[in-house]
Amino acid sequence: MTTATNLRTVPLVRRYLTFTWLVLGLAVLIMIVAAIAQPSIVVDTLVTGGMWALLAGGLALIFGVMNIPNFAHGELFLIGSLVGFTVFSPIQDAILENPDAALLKVVGPFPGMIAAALVGAAVGVGLEVLLFRPLRKRSRDQWVMNTFLLTAGVSVLLVNMDRLVIGNDFRGITRYWDVPPIRLLDVSISVDRAMVFIIALITIALFSLFLQRTRVGRAMRAVAQDEAGAQMAGIDLKRIFMLTIGLSSGLASLAGAALLFMFPSYPDVGLQPLYLAWYVVILAGLGNVQGAIAGAFIVSLLQTLTVFYVGVGWVDVLPTGFIILILLFKPSGLFGSAVKGIWEQ
Amino acid sequence: MLELTNLESGYELLQVLWGVSLRVDEGEFVALLGPNGAGKTTTLRTIAGFLSPIRGDVTFQGRSIGDAAPSAVSRMGIGFVSETLNLFPAMTVHENLLVGAYAVKDKRQIAATRDLVFELFPRLHERRDQLAGTLSGGERKMLAIGRGLMPSPSLLLVDEPSLGLAPMATLATFAALKALRERGVTILLVEQNVNTTLHLVDRAYVLEQGRIVLEGTGTELLGNSHVQEAYLGI
Repeated sequence: MTTATNLRTVPLVRRYLTFTWLVLGLAVLIMIVAAIAQPSIVVDTLVTGGMWALLAGGLALIFGVMNIPNFAHGELFLIGSLVGFTVFSPIQDAILENPDAALLKVVGPFPGMIAAALVGAAVGVGLEVLLFRPLRKRSRDQWVMNTFLLTAGVSVLLVNMDRLVIGNDFRGITRYWDVPPIRLLDVSISVDRAMVFIIALITIALFSLFLQRTRVGRAMRAVAQDEAGAQMAGIDLKRIFMLTIGLSSGLASLAGAALLFMFPSYPDVGLQPLYLAWYVVILAGLGNVQGAIAGAFIVSLLQTLTVFYVGVGWVDVLPTGFIILILLFKPSGLFGSAVKGIWEQ
Repeated sequence: MLELTNLESGYELLQVLWGVSLRVDEGEFVALLGPNGAGKTTTLRTIAGFLSPIRGDVTFQGRSIGDAAPSAVSRMGIGFVSETLNLFPAMTVHENLLVGAYAVKDKRQIAATRDLVFELFPRLHERRDQLAGTLSGGERKMLAIGRGLMPSPSLLLVDEPSLGLAPMATLATFAALKALRERGVTILLVEQNVNTTLHLVDRAYVLEQGRIVLEGTGTELLGNSHVQEAYLGI
């Protein structure tokens, strides 16, 4: 009974015409058609999709490894945007004073993003040490429900602290890179958007490589799949949990800083990214990181299509409707049951 | 090498072990036998660090490990192959083995132990890139033992390897344990398959209702009237 022979005996059509592949194929088809008819749809999908992938990938990771449904994920986006703004503002002034400093113009935006990722990671580790670890020590009964309430509370706390300490106004920038837009396929793309896409792409690639190929990344996946088994292999859960929450939070904050030109920092800025990341994670199947990355681009495509053909007002309505429709056909999410069905618990 | 002294252990509202003392010496193959619910698994889980002793102590190589965390126990050189196996179903056979070697830094040593595991279980080599969740019951047991061997433990705890296996697969698993023992690995085996086990091991303990009731070499216990009556059906 080998899998190879099993695969051979299943007709090709049935093997590839599963619902998941149908949805993925349809998405790719739309992208190809759009590339010819309306190239800016492709650009918009890729740019926002890349950032949703950072958010949703981190959300899926923290749920998969630590079983925490993180409703404070949006506030890490907020922290990222705040740190990004604070660090970039003086740099922006310096650029305005020295319009000829080419190097400053090119490199200037990066310190803010890096600082945002680091501060976000530190806040995440702080949450683990101050909240989740004591809770874990006390009891793991009702863990998912308790951590949901805990993160929802943290979210309210952080939003209102931001309102109280920093203030209830918008802190944003018009652009990171003050250079003329690039023209590609008859579409003009601002350098900011192109860079955001490249940053997302590199980060996702490094993130996936880390999870798939490194010893610690493997340990993280091991903890997600079987905590006791991971401990038997000598993996220290405490360290893996700190690393997981740090990585997940850092990615969310990086997204907040990188998208500062689209989402100016204000107390509620994390709400929409949080909901979006949750749509993506639910669509992909809870805790599936690679699925979440693919799902991010599907959601972003749905959003872009809605904005283009229906109207901006529908941008949350239609994608959510589609996700509900997809979940009706596949309740475990698009990539949810690849392994679960085979492994009897 | 391993010594339990008057160990009492169990779960929050249910104490299972009521003063278990046993000893495993370097290079020995020792079995812990007994009926369902006697506390065999609880004993292993306590040694492996998943449960803390209520009273009594566990010492390994002269050090008390009663309150050590499971990962720390593993790093001290105690491998644990649990009844539930606790494999990583969405990882390949090879990745499962690599995670098993998490605490080993030397790449060459990892490769050497992996080759040893593949030599011991050629089936795992054939299934190298298959997901662990798609393996058969026997193959999963082999993988769990293989993963337990990856950090080159000095003591291996094995919980009911014959559970749920076809007779052929059970024999293969026992043969593998015997081969391991010949390579110098100390083994503490929990089994219900009394006859086969007693023919295989150096010494055995019989655990009933949380207490050790009998102790002896395999041959001694095979000749014991209580063992014959209660476990061998003679």
